[in-house]
Amino acid sequence: MKTKTTLLFNALLVLAVVFAFSASAWAGKVYKIGFSGAITGPTSDAGNPLSKGIEDWFKYVNDTKMLGDDKIEYIIRDDQYKTDVTKRNFEEYLDEGIVFYLNYSTGSTLGLKRDFEEEEMPVAPSSYHEGNLVDSNYIFIPVATYSENVVALAEYVKNNHKGAGNPKVAMFIHPSAFGRGPLEDTKKAVEAGLAIDIVEVVEHGKDLDNSAMLKRLMSKGVQYVICHTVQSPVATMLKDAKRLGVQAASFGEAGKLTFLGAHYTGGSDLIALAPGACEGFLWTCSYNLTSEGNAKAKKQLDLAKKYGRDDKAANSHNYAAGILQAQIPTMAIIAAQKAGMEVNPENLYKMLQKMSGDKAFDSFATVGPVSYSNIDRIGVDLVNIYEVKGEQFKAISSIESEFMKKVRARMK
Amino acid sequence: MSYFFQIVVSGMVVGSIYALAALGLVLVYKSSRVANFAHGQIIAAGAFITFYLTTTVGIPIFFSFLASMVITFFLAMSVERIFLRRLIGEPIISVIMVTIGLASIIDGLIYLTPFGTENFSFPPFLPQDPLSLGGVSISWTQLVGMIITFIMIGGFSWFFKKSTVGISMRAVSDDQFGSMSVGISVPRVFGLAWATAGLSAAAAGCIIGNITGLNFDTLHAFGIVVFPVVILGGLDSILGAVVAGIIMGLIQQFASGYLDGNWGLNGTGDVMPYVILLIILLFKPHGLFGIHEIERV
Repeated sequence: MKTKTTLLFNALLVLAVVFAFSASAWAGKVYKIGFSGAITGPTSDAGNPLSKGIEDWFKYVNDTKMLGDDKIEYIIRDDQYKTDVTKRNFEEYLDEGIVFYLNYSTGSTLGLKRDFEEEEMPVAPSSYHEGNLVDSNYIFIPVATYSENVVALAEYVKNNHKGAGNPKVAMFIHPSAFGRGPLEDTKKAVEAGLAIDIVEVVEHGKDLDNSAMLKRLMSKGVQYVICHTVQSPVATMLKDAKRLGVQAASFGEAGKLTFLGAHYTGGSDLIALAPGACEGFLWTCSYNLTSEGNAKAKKQLDLAKKYGRDDKAANSHNYAAGILQAQIPTMAIIAAQKAGMEVNPENLYKMLQKMSGDKAFDSFATVGPVSYSNIDRIGVDLVNIYEVKGEQFKAISSIESEFMKKVRARMK
Repeated sequence: MSYFFQIVVSGMVVGSIYALAALGLVLVYKSSRVANFAHGQIIAAGAFITFYLTTTVGIPIFFSFLASMVITFFLAMSVERIFLRRLIGEPIISVIMVTIGLASIIDGLIYLTPFGTENFSFPPFLPQDPLSLGGVSISWTQLVGMIITFIMIGGFSWFFKKSTVGISMRAVSDDQFGSMSVGISVPRVFGLAWATAGLSAAAAGCIIGNITGLNFDTLHAFGIVVFPVVILGGLDSILGAVVAGIIMGLIQQFASGYLDGNWGLNGTGDVMPYVILLIILLFKPHGLFGIHEIERV
């Protein structure tokens, strides 16, 4: 009797184990993806909505069974813009077995570039610094680089300037590699034939009054100020320009200053910081804005609503940036699934390199399709030029920087 | 010529705001000999409290401004009571380390709110058109900021020179044991010093926030930006903070107006105040108006 009971118990145990394993196999696989970024701390005005975009997209992927029975386990950690914390987060993610990594800042992306190479880990950063691509093979930039944005603005100035001679331009930049990189590329674009005169470069500080700087620029005949920094210093400058009466009422108005800025200088945050002073400000961005009111914008707002985000996050282009950043590994996983390949860093890297032509994907977050190849690791080349009209950014033109291609060709 | 005068006016505006922001550091140092590294966070807190009371609670901005000063007055007093009171008599470095820790705690608390990660702007409450005279312009925000600064500095100067409490605070700053022996409550004076510093920080935060917009990183950075001002003026001198603030503002604007963009120079507006600071400290190590203490052993 005792033997029979033992046998029965053993048989049940074996059945239970077999069932448990099969059930886990039927439940699909789980792929881990890690993000480390400034959810609090410096630049968290961008990092916070961005992390919400990442979270909502991955929730949406799992909720709508976009990967079939497979799921994405996303791990989001705050690094407070500190590269040492980013490095620790990345190392912990490696131990946890991530298949793709999402990074945030320019500093940490440049700092961890060698780690990404050594670990052969494909990475999509929130930093669009051109230097991320130098001596690296695993970094896939989501949209046009900062340099592409700034050079595109310079091209727009050149193409639309109505006065005689070359347009006189001042560059207003962040005092860091983030600010200086695009400046160097703009200078190279000028060497390559872009007909603008860079009269002065201003590396701003924590200025409470820009009167002296603005009057100096006016005295040198500057007509256009191209900014590459964050919103706060631009907001203070725009308010001072308005007070001094030097702000152009229309693009290129003679004797006045027309202000333009790239990616992190604009968006709803600029309007929040300088209401009434940013009318006519021109801004480049590869993301579709909700103020456009188009079908893409509606999808973004629907996603934000589905996961209970407030209006501020829902309408932020940084929220759109987070969505795209999370979409990149998702589309690579789908491509790997379709190809019958195992989902691991190596295969996702291969899939991303083939993501061009009919394999490119269209994102509701961006103004153009996202494509990568083995020689192109920038997702979207197109930038929209938006202008502030009635306290809202409205698209007035699209541009793909021709001179940035020339700069890259000369570099090779 | 209008260029020159515009720079003078801008320098005076920036300088007076520096002076007000520096005032809180001076007040704490004057009575307790502690450099408060959490000052920038209190500046930011004052600005956000005003914004919250105005936009969410719906109190008119002028009353919100006064209310935020009262709130930060008691907030700073509580901070002193909870964290710093027990450190009386401990080495100064311990107290300074606590203020650094306090800065991190306030950072963390503000990051838990939308104010830590979002950008805001005060609703317009002053005329938007600037005041202009002979090609020199100043915004109403700057003018009102400057007036508030001078009223507050004048008030604090009177308070320290004429009022009994102010004289007690100076006595404590001079000699804690001596003050105790004549019946002055040193802990109470420390609490008051922190409270008045909180009050002035809130005023500074509101003025800076009106100019730059409300961004936490920008606002709390001013707690550090004004350190050269208090060192130049003398850590324990209110008059020093005013004079040094205006000197710094003028140097910054003149460097930016006349040096930047010429001879390959750039960013001198940020560097020159420190260069001048170093030069002055070579000759006056205690700052322009700091007290040179002589100890006899």
